[in-house]
Amino acid sequence: MLSTFHGLEAARRGMMAQQAALYTTGHNIANANTEGYTRQRVQLRPTPPFPTPGLNRPSIPGQMGTGVEASSVERVREYFLDVQYRGENSKLGYWEARADAVAKMEDIMNEPSDSGLAKTMDQFWQALQDLSTHPENEGARSVVRQRGLAVVETFHYLSNSLTQIRDDIGSQIGVAVTEINSLLNQIRALNERIAEIEPNGYLPNDLYDERDRLIDQLSQFVDIQVEKHPVGGNSLPAAEGTYDVYVLNGNNKVYLVQGRNAASVSFPDGSDVDGDGGKEMPPASGVNALDIGGTTVFFSSLPNGKLRGLIEGYGYQTGTDASGQPIVKGLYPDMLANLDKLAYTFGTLFNAVHQQGYGLNGSTNHLFFAGLGGVNGAAKTITLAADIDDLANIAAATKSGETGNGNNAINLANVRSLLLSNATVSLQDGISVDLASLSLPLSSGTVETNYQGWIGQLGVDGEQANRMKSNSETLRQSVEEKRQSVSSVSLDEEMMNMIKYQHAYNAAARQITVIDEMLDKIINGMGVVGR
Amino acid sequence: MRITQSMLANNMLKQISRSYENLDKYQTQLSTGKKITRPSDDPVVAMKGIAYRSNLAEVEQFKRNFSEAYNWVENSDSALDKATQALQRIRELTVQASNDTYEETQRQAIAKEVRQLTEHLATIANTKVGDKYIFNGAKTTEPPVTVNPDGTISVSTNSQQLNIELAKGIYIPVNIPPSTAFGAGNGLFSDLQNLAASLENPSTTGNDLTGYLDKLDSHLTNLLGVRAELGARMNRIELMEDRIDSQQVIAEKMLSDNEDVDLEKVITDLKTQESVHRAALAVGARVIQPTLVDFLR
Repeated sequence: MLSTFHGLEAARRGMMAQQAALYTTGHNIANANTEGYTRQRVQLRPTPPFPTPGLNRPSIPGQMGTGVEASSVERVREYFLDVQYRGENSKLGYWEARADAVAKMEDIMNEPSDSGLAKTMDQFWQALQDLSTHPENEGARSVVRQRGLAVVETFHYLSNSLTQIRDDIGSQIGVAVTEINSLLNQIRALNERIAEIEPNGYLPNDLYDERDRLIDQLSQFVDIQVEKHPVGGNSLPAAEGTYDVYVLNGNNKVYLVQGRNAASVSFPDGSDVDGDGGKEMPPASGVNALDIGGTTVFFSSLPNGKLRGLIEGYGYQTGTDASGQPIVKGLYPDMLANLDKLAYTFGTLFNAVHQQGYGLNGSTNHLFFAGLGGVNGAAKTITLAADIDDLANIAAATKSGETGNGNNAINLANVRSLLLSNATVSLQDGISVDLASLSLPLSSGTVETNYQGWIGQLGVDGEQANRMKSNSETLRQSVEEKRQSVSSVSLDEEMMNMIKYQHAYNAAARQITVIDEMLDKIINGMGVVGR
Repeated sequence: MRITQSMLANNMLKQISRSYENLDKYQTQLSTGKKITRPSDDPVVAMKGIAYRSNLAEVEQFKRNFSEAYNWVENSDSALDKATQALQRIRELTVQASNDTYEETQRQAIAKEVRQLTEHLATIANTKVGDKYIFNGAKTTEPPVTVNPDGTISVSTNSQQLNIELAKGIYIPVNIPPSTAFGAGNGLFSDLQNLAASLENPSTTGNDLTGYLDKLDSHLTNLLGVRAELGARMNRIELMEDRIDSQQVIAEKMLSDNEDVDLEKVITDLKTQESVHRAALAVGARVIQPTLVDFLR
């Protein structure tokens, strides 16, 4: 026999379940614009029917439904899309950092334009040509000196600005490492709270969302992998468990977060500027390795991401040279080294020609450029020689005492287009330069073509970075779209649900009214026959 | 696919900002007149751009050098023209004086004129253009001809050629050394001084003077030869200038073809983009606004 109040209980359960669903709808609407929020759905499930099979079961025609319950509140999310999103996000982080570094370099180099190094060199060359036609003219000499000064200052400006930007990138790396460590800590803390809640049979959906959002953020810096670990206890099957986050170092997993523990990232030979005890600033000599929770990960095996992109701009070590000094490669170190080579080659070669010429006063063996102690830092140290303060010492002539002789000025003007691959170069009026004995750091092309080549390389680097940035942006966007398609809140849908649940709630209430009337009939209307 | 309001909003934002990006590109191209502003826009254009600019600077510099070359050659020619006229006058005078009917006083007068003309020739030899003596090789700050205290005239022997680079690796000598123009040593001037002395000498006969005519003729021939050489050089410089002129046009065209925008194309692209942008804004405004909420009562 069924209980008298069976229908009343089923209707009550209906009202309560629809109410729970309606409240979840409210939660979804409220979070429609929350970043990282996943829409939630109440899993409605019929309660176990009556009777359950057994020896004492009542004999009724069939199993009678007992109503509904809200069994769980679950996120609507596809884990596979998260994995895809994070992979693309790492690539985007990497290419964004690289494109940004190249763009800043392009701004500084300012080529092709009327104010870059190439133009300054052109103007210097033109001043020397003018000097060749007016060697006895103080004005022409003064212009040569000023244009020479402009060349020197352009080298200084480029070198200093590039160094400045490189330092900025160093600070960005510091900020990135600090942010990574903060993210790792937050993820660890969330793991901890989730591990405390899940064994009680709850699904901490909003904590899951928060943790996934943090991992999305982390994936921008390094390409990470995530492993799930169930926490046991009375956990529901839909429980996510704790997340272990790791990067691959070759085939080995290096854990950033492992359950309730978080590693911290630092540079073993770096420095600590914010005083928190972690060396988050990379060493000036370039990054060799990272320390992740006590494991050394060499830069060469650091996976994609913004961190790698930044370090590639800043500089990384690729081994040591013959004298045990680290060899530093990278976007900025390379361009700085190139400028040094250019300044050294140009200055040395120019001096070699200048020293063989004669000034207005018949004097010879004067330097034009000074400060060329070595290739390293030449672009910063190159200056005009003190000899040139006396304009008469500019060696325009190929012979002593010939004030109208401008042939050496022509020789000087041709320095920037001398083929550096020749062993010796013969110039006008029997002047020759033994390139082999100068041991120049550049040995092919000309000063001019080498520079053009580097600008071309810079352009190709930038073009690739921009293209890859835009590609990974598109890919990330398409994955993000798929993810949103699954997980984001549709207001129309929530409105539909709201109406749906409202109707169901109302109908359940009406059901109670019907049963109430039935009971009224039994209690007040029965047993009074014939009254 | 399930589409939600936030997807619509995000998408619209992305499309509109992409559209703005394009508008920004066209705006930059129109206001700079250049296809690219940084090497990564097109590395090949950038690299060529640097080379073409250097090339153009070179061509422009050579053009500037031409005016200097003309300055030298034309001034030299005009000086030597004056020298030829003076020498011809001296020859006429010598022919007159070689007539034995001339009296001593008449010959004295001719001698005076010859001496004056000799000095005139010395001044011509010391012609300055700007600060430069053009007939003294590379020693342009010293005069090639000096009148010594004893009245003799000495001519310097500086023969260094002054070269001007008029095309990559092509050096054109622009000066006439003093020995070429006025005879080796002090040939011309000592001959003229001897002539004047002979005119002043009463025992000189007409026949003696006729002997000078040969010498004068050889000096005149020399001057003509030098001027012919100058003319030839001028010719060569003109030919080279023609070539450099067309090189400049080519260099400018290459520079322009390489990096200048095609205005018609960019403006058309801009107009197209503008209407796309308006459409994107309009459709966004229509789609974003209404939801089911607006229709539920």
